Amino acid sequence: MTTIREKGYHHWDGQFKENFRPFWPIIRTGIKLAFQRKKFKPLFAASFIPAFAYAAGIYISERLEDFKSMGSGLEKFLQINPAFFKSYLTLDFTYFMILLLMSVGGAGLIADDFRHQAIQLYFARPLEKKDYLLGKAGVVAFFVGCLTLVPALILFILKLLFSGSFRLLVEYPWLILSIILFSALVMMFFTALILLCSSLTNNRNQAIALMFSIYFLSSILSGVLFLIFRSPYALLLSLKLNLDQVAAGFFLVKPSRELPWYLSFLVLLAFVAFSYFLVSKKVRSVEVIK
Amino acid sequence: MSIELNNIHFSYGQVKALNGVSLQIGGGATGLLGPNGAGKSTLIKIMLGFLAPDQGEGKVLGYDIKSEQKLIRQAVGYMPEDECYIPDMDAVSFTAYLGELSGMPRQEAMKRAHEVLFYVGLGEARYRLVETYSSGMRQRLKLAQALVHDPKLLFLDEPTSNLDPSGRQEILELIGEIASVKGISVLLSSHILSDIEAICDQVIILNQGEVAASGSLADLKMVNYRLYELKVKGELDGFRQELEARACRLEETEDKIIKIFTPPDFDPMEIFRAAARYKLQVRQFVPSQTSLEELFARVVGVD
Repeated sequence: MTTIREKGYHHWDGQFKENFRPFWPIIRTGIKLAFQRKKFKPLFAASFIPAFAYAAGIYISERLEDFKSMGSGLEKFLQINPAFFKSYLTLDFTYFMILLLMSVGGAGLIADDFRHQAIQLYFARPLEKKDYLLGKAGVVAFFVGCLTLVPALILFILKLLFSGSFRLLVEYPWLILSIILFSALVMMFFTALILLCSSLTNNRNQAIALMFSIYFLSSILSGVLFLIFRSPYALLLSLKLNLDQVAAGFFLVKPSRELPWYLSFLVLLAFVAFSYFLVSKKVRSVEVIK
Repeated sequence: MSIELNNIHFSYGQVKALNGVSLQIGGGATGLLGPNGAGKSTLIKIMLGFLAPDQGEGKVLGYDIKSEQKLIRQAVGYMPEDECYIPDMDAVSFTAYLGELSGMPRQEAMKRAHEVLFYVGLGEARYRLVETYSSGMRQRLKLAQALVHDPKLLFLDEPTSNLDPSGRQEILELIGEIASVKGISVLLSSHILSDIEAICDQVIILNQGEVAASGSLADLKMVNYRLYELKVKGELDGFRQELEARACRLEETEDKIIKIFTPPDFDPMEIFRAAARYKLQVRQFVPSQTSLEELFARVVGVD
């Protein structure tokens, strides 16, 4: 018969975890809190529309005879090659949905901690700044990965399954690596953008405005400068265009602009590094106690 | 010994924040006092391992403040002064989350969160979102998160701010019980001197980055001066001048009680002799307890 425990304070007789990784609880809780937010789930579900459309495209590409009634140009459109995967991973719709999702579930990742002075609760625990940032970055990376890496890999597997052969793998043995590397770059880029905006303010709405502004204004600004100076280098200011250019480089397809793709890659890396520098400056564990 | 600091120096650029602080804090409850800018926050930052001292060494719960900061923070609970919480979380998830961040296994952190929330009096409200809590409830929640991982030492920064009198009394009772019965050492930083007086048996007073006084509260009150309260009839000026010339300090309260602070070796009969010389009638003479407020004012040098 178990004894009834007396009400009051009792010492904990458990053991702290060995090899404790403090960023895991931060990632898990961030994902959970995002799903708890209103409208997040329907938005998240809607973000997979392109993935289903592309999956349908792969299916149709293997059953062209059955779908002849849909038109004669299908064959041209449904060539499953690196350009197909490149086009999936650079879809404007997907990037817009990432921004929309993160405006609901990611903009407050650091901004809310600033606003409610929760930073001190984190850093009074045995975790370092890198654990905190890794945890917050993990939340964004998870959602971006869900919309890029995971569907792209599933599409690749579906192609192999529907075709019943490894021809795609044999013809393009590097393709799977390109998918992983480019998805990783997209995850890094959006993680940097969202954490940067979230750390620059303690107001979630301002962070959302910043996210959209930086992303879209960079394209508008580069377009204006291109019109004025007629220099293709002006296009390096556009974040979206840089992603397109790098995708072309990674998937070995012709870039849409006459610029070397590695320049765009360097611009994106510089953006990520600059964001990390700023976020790191803004989140200072030593300010736990004022 | 919970905390041992030896000759700690720390500067923010040209500004010297701590200047040769040496401390030894044992079990029980210890009050940390000092005016703004005295170095209290810097001292706590150093003890939690956020700042490395320029000079000196120290240990908190046996862990080195320069090399074992994570172990210190795992063994210490910190209750901040500011109102702080993580939005969109209910109290039990919030407390369990912070337990997990301390290194507790997930399920045990959740179980423990329920226990400590009951302990601080938030059991019935534990599934409510923390942003719906009143200030007093948030104060209790901060105490719960500081206790969730069963720390051996608690740093409490203004634990009774934002509380109504009854809430304040309850929190003080909880802290008193934690320090005296549950074997957790408590370092309490507060501007409310009566709180410190109510639950601390040791006190450290910092002033201008140095330890101005430290030790048992009872001893400090005894050592520094004695206090007598008098009611007298007659002209005070000559009496006051004579006693002040002999290193005493006189204060007159609104209800005409004269407080005389004398050096520890001062013979109280001298007060009667001086009164007789200046033809004062002493109508009441009470050796009094010195309050922490008076001790603080004297040590820090403010009125």
